[in-house]
Amino acid sequence: MSPSDSAADSGGIPIPPEFAPLSTPSGDEPHAAPVAQPSPDPDTLAPEPEPAALGYSPDVPAFAGLELAEAARAAAEPAEEFEVEPSALHRARMRFRNWRRTRPFWGGLLILFGGGEILFSEKAPFKVILHIGLQGLAGYLLPAVMVLCGALLWFSPAQRTFYSILSVLLALGTWLTSNLGGFIIGMLLGLVGGSLAFGWAPRRPQPTAEAPPATTPPTAAPSAQATPQT
Amino acid sequence: MASSETTASSTTEPAAQGKVRLRRFAALMIPATVAGGVMVALTAQGVLAAQFAISGIAFTVTADQLKGTGFEQWGWIDNTIQDSPNLQDTGGQATVFVSAIHSGTLTNMCQSINLGAINLVLRAGRNGTPVQATDLVVDSDTLSGDATFDTLAVGQDASTLDTVPGIIGPPGDFGQQAKGVIINHLRQDNYATTAASFTLPGLSMSFSSDGC
Repeated sequence: MSPSDSAADSGGIPIPPEFAPLSTPSGDEPHAAPVAQPSPDPDTLAPEPEPAALGYSPDVPAFAGLELAEAARAAAEPAEEFEVEPSALHRARMRFRNWRRTRPFWGGLLILFGGGEILFSEKAPFKVILHIGLQGLAGYLLPAVMVLCGALLWFSPAQRTFYSILSVLLALGTWLTSNLGGFIIGMLLGLVGGSLAFGWAPRRPQPTAEAPPATTPPTAAPSAQATPQT
Repeated sequence: MASSETTASSTTEPAAQGKVRLRRFAALMIPATVAGGVMVALTAQGVLAAQFAISGIAFTVTADQLKGTGFEQWGWIDNTIQDSPNLQDTGGQATVFVSAIHSGTLTNMCQSINLGAINLVLRAGRNGTPVQATDLVVDSDTLSGDATFDTLAVGQDASTLDTVPGIIGPPGDFGQQAKGVIINHLRQDNYATTAASFTLPGLSMSFSSDGC
């Protein structure tokens, strides 16, 4: 599998053989390189097979890498992969789980609860709020914007840094404006939720997901690696 | 390679599953906790004032002494929201009187809010520094204490009261006002307070089965 492919590669892409002689002290010709290289080459090429093993690998060895990665994922999450006969309820749960994991769900939820708790601790009719004026209005505005931030963390997670920092500041502000932050409960929920949302970050993209951009650089590696064998 | 990775991550970001990184969480949680602690401490020293707005929940305020300048009082009927769990025996209505104090000091204040199963108790103003309240407007159904009024006018129309700027009652209602008031052994059972700003020196909050 590798000899035929490496031959095709070396034939198709003439660049790698030219790179190899550059690294070696002797050998100006591509033909001389395979003979002279075996001693210096393992040093230069030793780190290069690693990306292939990780799954960043080129066309043919990539299948082995893909299968390995998928097997590893399946082993890591057996409950998800090996459900028999997915019912409608199960599919909905899976969809919700995916939705939940692709955004700062718990942070947003805590902020929603915190803002809601503060509003609940005040619960004055709107007529009264208008009567109080601007200073009293802030007591309702801050927790209301907190609720808005919690919802936006769910539905617009790309801007999570702004929303999470804003909700932490709002939660701090409610201590002064809104019944000591809903008697401290809502404020604490807002602080923890905002920090959780701030700390949330997507996993680094999985190697299988970014196969197309990764293929081009490693092609140089196996063809150069294969040259000593031919 | 690095550039291709970043572009790939930014394009696939909305769909990528993620988790909370502990260090990023701590990076915001620690300063936020410190800032919150500073605000609580400043409030407990009476430097910062906290605003209260409560309605529909019964809460009690007691104090050894209330000294106020600018005092108004008139009768009123409080309505809860529809289907509220509170005040069900009276159809959601409570006959209250509204007491407004322009600025006042409360010595050894205790405020307890009935949360159903448990009371939240706030205590402040104990160590020589009294609680300061600004524009305190409370709807009470019980007020007891030994009161002394300065320049008391009883029976004035509630809409013409003027000792607390900006706060008047409905026209045609009985009202009374005074330039100053001192109430010892104050006890108020309230239903609502609006736009009250308190400084709370020596603040302590606790949950307790019995209130003030």
